[in-house]
Amino acid sequence: MERVKTGIPGLDEMLRGGLLPQTATLVEGAPGTGKTTLGMQFIYHGIVDYDEPGIILTFEQFPSQFYRDAANFGWDFRKLEDEGKLRIIMSSPEVSLVDLQAVGGQIEALAREMGARRILVDSLSHFQRLTSDPLQLRHLTYSFVNGLKREGLTAVLTWESPVLLGEPAEYDVGIPFIIDTYILLRYVEIESAVHKALLVLKMRGSDHDKDIRQFDISGRGIEVRSKFEGHEGIMSGSPRRMADSFVQAFIRR
Amino acid sequence: MEREDLVGRVMADMDPELLAFLRTRVNSFVKWDLIRFFGENPHTTDTAENIARYAGRNVEATRAELAELAAQGVLVESHLGEMTVYSLTSNPEIRRLIQRFLEASNDRQFRVKAIYHIIRGMR
Repeated sequence: MERVKTGIPGLDEMLRGGLLPQTATLVEGAPGTGKTTLGMQFIYHGIVDYDEPGIILTFEQFPSQFYRDAANFGWDFRKLEDEGKLRIIMSSPEVSLVDLQAVGGQIEALAREMGARRILVDSLSHFQRLTSDPLQLRHLTYSFVNGLKREGLTAVLTWESPVLLGEPAEYDVGIPFIIDTYILLRYVEIESAVHKALLVLKMRGSDHDKDIRQFDISGRGIEVRSKFEGHEGIMSGSPRRMADSFVQAFIRR
Repeated sequence: MEREDLVGRVMADMDPELLAFLRTRVNSFVKWDLIRFFGENPHTTDTAENIARYAGRNVEATRAELAELAAQGVLVESHLGEMTVYSLTSNPEIRRLIQRFLEASNDRQFRVKAIYHIIRGMR
């Protein structure tokens, strides 16, 4: 099966080779967990390693912030824009939604003109300001996501979680139901140190790794490492050692 | 009066192309902000309300200045559903002038002169 590789060390293995083409992936996490970095890395590797031009649609951060943050990882986004392989569009959810629904809108025209195959939307959470009705929000985001797929784009969409440590926020908007792949990024406290955890919670149409993996953000971006060993309740943010007494008793035998 | 003329001559000592651009297009501080915003974000298409928020300016003042910039050909005003949205012109000559203006604005001497012309234009 054809895969859209993220190029992120460790993540493509978890995804059994990469994302499925023309699907939408939600990356949910607290501030600073690396949602945008993951998305930028997906776009960067798409352009540089797989010759797949990309678009970044930002609802809050200025393009200059993307240039600067990308440069910290050695990714020259300005150069990629000059080469016509990347476009960073700053807009609002209301304008982007109507634009995508219209025939010949800016996103559609741009995607076709540059042959874009990937898009990062940072962040889908901003759609919440369009309506307070959960059903309508689900309807709006569903339409938006389908518009991206219609343009042949494989999308990574970030979602801001207000919870720094602990269980994921309870959704009353049904967003995870309308996306294809759902990746959770979490802070985890282990022995007075904060680590980062990544879990692929859902991947429609494909098997995927169910482990909760550690990941780091280094000078080269995100690197997904091995799974957390010897702890349980990782996603609670405050894991416990796995039944020490039980393990010891078992070993004594 | 003589002193003012002298100051005026000193302040007019800048690249004629940029001086003309300044006098005809960038004739208010809000316009300066908007031109800088679109110069740095050339793919933005958005409403006056959102652009005002990005620029940290009052919505009504921004709306009027956006309309003027559109009338002057710096921006393009279009309708998206029920929304009026603005984007940067695709005219390469105006885009080149904007980039020249933004680059020149990095120089303090140029900024001082530009501010002088904007204030004079506002009288």
